Amino acid sequence: MLVLDQVSKHYGAVKAVDGVSLTVPEGQTLALVGESGCGKTTLAKLILMLEKPTTGRILFDGQDLAQMSRSQLKGYRRQVQAVFQDPYASLNPRLRVASIVAEPILAHERPDRASLKKRVEELLDHVGLPASAASLFPHEFSGGQRQRIAIARALALRPRLMVLDEPVSALDVSIRAQVLNLLADIQQEFSLTYLVIAHDLALVEHFSTQTAVAYLGRIVEHGATEDVFGAPSHPYTRALLEAVPQPDPDHVLPDAALLGEIASALDPPSGCHFHPRCPVAVPICPRERPAEVNAPGAGHTAACHLLAAARPLEHAASSP
Amino acid sequence: MTALAPVLAIEGLKTYIHLKRGVVRAVDGVDLTVGAGETLGLVGESGSGKSMTGLSILRLLPKGAGKIVAGSIRLDGEELTTLPEKVLARDVRGRRVAMIAQDPMTSLNPVFSIGDQVSGPFRYHGGLPRQEARAAAIDVLQRVRIPSPEKRLGDYPHQFSGGQRQRIVTAMAIGRGPRLLIADEPTTALDVTIQAQMIALLRRLQQESGAGIILITHDLGVAASLCNRIAVMYAGRIVETGPVREVFRNPAHPYTRALLAAIPKLGSRGRRLVAIPGQPPSLIDPPAGCRFAARCPLKVSACDAYPQTTAVGPNHSVACWRAGEAV
Ligand SMILES: Nc1ncnc2c1ncn2[C@@H]1O[C@H](COP(=O)(O)OP(=O)(O)OP(=O)(O)O)[C@@H](O)[C@H]1O
Ligand SMILES: Nc1ncnc2c1ncn2[C@@H]1O[C@H](COP(=O)(O)OP(=O)(O)O)[C@@H](O)[C@H]1O
Ligand code: SF4
Ligand code: SF4
Ligand SMILES: [Mg+2]
Ligand SMILES: [Mg+2]
Repeated sequence: MLVLDQVSKHYGAVKAVDGVSLTVPEGQTLALVGESGCGKTTLAKLILMLEKPTTGRILFDGQDLAQMSRSQLKGYRRQVQAVFQDPYASLNPRLRVASIVAEPILAHERPDRASLKKRVEELLDHVGLPASAASLFPHEFSGGQRQRIAIARALALRPRLMVLDEPVSALDVSIRAQVLNLLADIQQEFSLTYLVIAHDLALVEHFSTQTAVAYLGRIVEHGATEDVFGAPSHPYTRALLEAVPQPDPDHVLPDAALLGEIASALDPPSGCHFHPRCPVAVPICPRERPAEVNAPGAGHTAACHLLAAARPLEHAASSP
Repeated sequence: MTALAPVLAIEGLKTYIHLKRGVVRAVDGVDLTVGAGETLGLVGESGSGKSMTGLSILRLLPKGAGKIVAGSIRLDGEELTTLPEKVLARDVRGRRVAMIAQDPMTSLNPVFSIGDQVSGPFRYHGGLPRQEARAAAIDVLQRVRIPSPEKRLGDYPHQFSGGQRQRIVTAMAIGRGPRLLIADEPTTALDVTIQAQMIALLRRLQQESGAGIILITHDLGVAASLCNRIAVMYAGRIVETGPVREVFRNPAHPYTRALLAAIPKLGSRGRRLVAIPGQPPSLIDPPAGCRFAARCPLKVSACDAYPQTTAVGPNHSVACWRAGEAV
């Protein structure tokens, strides 16, 4: 449904997104994971057309966003909606919930009062809020309830794709599960495709069907979530998974010395960006950017020189 | 560990915040002990009173509004709640009790070099001459693994990464050998790989120094990785405390159990999360009985009265009327 083709976004010297190619298939949940500042939110902004790519193309149903006519773009904006991390910042504090949820509808349609009221009530009901919520202001709700309001607003135009940027990380542990279950339910009900941005790996494994791992503006590994978590192939993915503290007192965390410092996006390391932290780097790593090669599982790829060396045949077979 | 006299003993602590719209009972009858060399994890959701408990120890409460209204806080046997502010500021804060705050930038001054900030306390409070204070600063920066600290003393906070800034704040906290370290969400703002480094660092510092640590966190993974003992806080009160293995393997309070079931764990793909319905009560007008009652699947009529704390195992106690029952 959504295809990113060699998309880059540069802010001056910072390559926030650096040649990313990704496909978000219809009906799936693609999770984008990676450390702070690796370009996740920038990628979301490009998809939401809040920013323009410096180079590369974004295709929706095969159509290049940059080539779309005004009316096609209007259609695109209807079909792609977003829910952001901070439910405090993303809702206008001066508007009542009814106006917040109705806002996207009124931007695209001219419904009569009665049918608008009915649609708002239905939307609130879908996200588990009572109809009486419509007349209240955002500050009268808890964080979890505000996130429900944001989800109702995103659903208002019956979108096909929802971009969820850290949708539960600002919420309390005891509230997160409520919102995650709600997102799973409405995905079924409305046949939604999700692109979810998250840094909590356990949550990603739980919630997504596909996972893409980003490091300093690039995708280093991508595949079905069970393959990426079951057979992590890029050294960075492996380091990330090992570093997750588990709610189990007998789980042992790795030797911290191995994990190194995160490099700066202003001055990314040469070749493979991960090489200064990589425990298995070889001489070619600082010199050349590694290409994507096949990893175990259908459509599972990773960008690492070692994998290219270990799988020369598959590599050769995959390139015509 | 608890056989030794504890470094810190809190009994019946109540810290209230007086606001126009009412009195927030942020800490409402808390008992806690921390032994030497022990790490106590204080876990619970936001607003449950974890930070206010930590700040009460240092009496760093919201100006004019926050007040300890009952209870006792003893550090190595000495009562802190009645200590004059001047004595507390001189002998306790930053010296016998140090704190690492969640956001390292709030503890670092952007216009002073790291060298000035880390060596300052050695000079002005410790009375060391300039060169010795500098050497002491280099030494603690080395202990928190800042690479070549002697070359970086002139650098400013923004020239360090988030993980390094958190380690520098840690260096400042441990610099003067505190008996108790309060770490309030020290890893929340960090990425997982950097968080793992911080966990390893705190663990090593504790082995070296034998200080007691209170680790405040809402992340049960971090608590399990770092703590010997866990205290679970809910709506201003401790609802369960016990050795880390006991609390994670045999959680006895319905809230602890629900919390553990509500978080996704690596390797648990596809299973639906068991959500906890509802939300915590307001601390302005909390219910008289069990504060978890409105969300508790086991609630009975007895729960309309606040539950007594009962032992369910060695050093493992729970405030729940139905704690003893096998469920
Ligand atoms: N408007 C901007 N101007 C300059 N640099 C920017 C801008 N927006 C983002 N950046 C830089 O681009 C890089 C990627 O930022 P982005 O917000 O996409 O990260 P992220 O992966 O979403 O991080 P987080 O997990 O912290 O939200 C960072 O180095 C950031 O500082
Ligand atoms: N500066 C403050 N002014 C008013 N109320 C506060 C202030 N700080 C905390 N509170 C209130 O005190 C209670 C406990 O807060 P806190 O100890 O910060 O919780 P936690 O650290 O567990 O998230 C909450 O109800 C919170 O809203
Ligand atoms: S390309 Fe080299 S440095 Fe990069 S992840 Fe692979 S082995 Fe490590
Ligand atoms: S005292 Fe009652 S309501 Fe409270 S946790 Fe126990 S069973 Fe539930
Ligand atoms: Mg972001
Ligand atoms: Mg707090």
